[in-house]
Amino acid sequence: MDHCYWFRSKVIMDKIHKPKKVFVQGPISPQFVADSIARHQSKVNIGAHAIFLGQIRADEKEEGFVTGIEYSAYEEMAEQAFHAIREDAFSKFDLTCMHIYHSLGLVPTGEISLFVFVSSVHRRAAFEASEYIVDEIKTKVPIFGKELMGPAGEYVWKENK
Amino acid sequence: MEMTINILYFGMLAEITGLASETWLLKDGLTVGDLKQEIGDKYPLIRDKKFKVAVNQQIGDDGTKISFQSEVALLPPFAGG
Repeated sequence: MDHCYWFRSKVIMDKIHKPKKVFVQGPISPQFVADSIARHQSKVNIGAHAIFLGQIRADEKEEGFVTGIEYSAYEEMAEQAFHAIREDAFSKFDLTCMHIYHSLGLVPTGEISLFVFVSSVHRRAAFEASEYIVDEIKTKVPIFGKELMGPAGEYVWKENK
Repeated sequence: MEMTINILYFGMLAEITGLASETWLLKDGLTVGDLKQEIGDKYPLIRDKKFKVAVNQQIGDDGTKISFQSEVALLPPFAGG
């Protein structure tokens, strides 16, 4: 868990792929995010990190307020889709490092379900890449979600806009 | 020629079929468009749903061919993020 998903050396211009799982069971804790930041302090070629955190909103529906989302995925295809998004982001933006984590299972309202962490020498690449990666995840990765609400276990299937 | 294909269902589609996967006996050389028709005949409730068909983990269109080795999955709208 100590290393970047991807690391592109400025000298050898080679990508070293260290496969790690994107999916985590349940919410992504603030401590996990903090620890990820701390692990990059030794990478002193980095001058900018951009972090996107997706949080579960208490949307109001006919059945009541959303209390959480239960995520599932076509995991093999999703891992491939994440891989393609990473490859793509590295070719489009001048990034040093990239991590993506997404929840599976129940994530209660107010908790984090998506953590995108990109690092670069200067800020622009990190800003632009984080937005690009999140947009790609929403449209290309087969992840499904039930928005849960009400004491009787009502739910609706979520659909990204 | 007929072929046996295992079809995976996800999200609300798994709910409609009551199954996570199902083995289908289908005509060889079938396309995604043909398959959608067959699925709609067996599960009329799916006809009203928006879904995509992945063949070997790539989103296919109606013309995409399915072979006996294909991994086929029915995917409802994505909700990641």
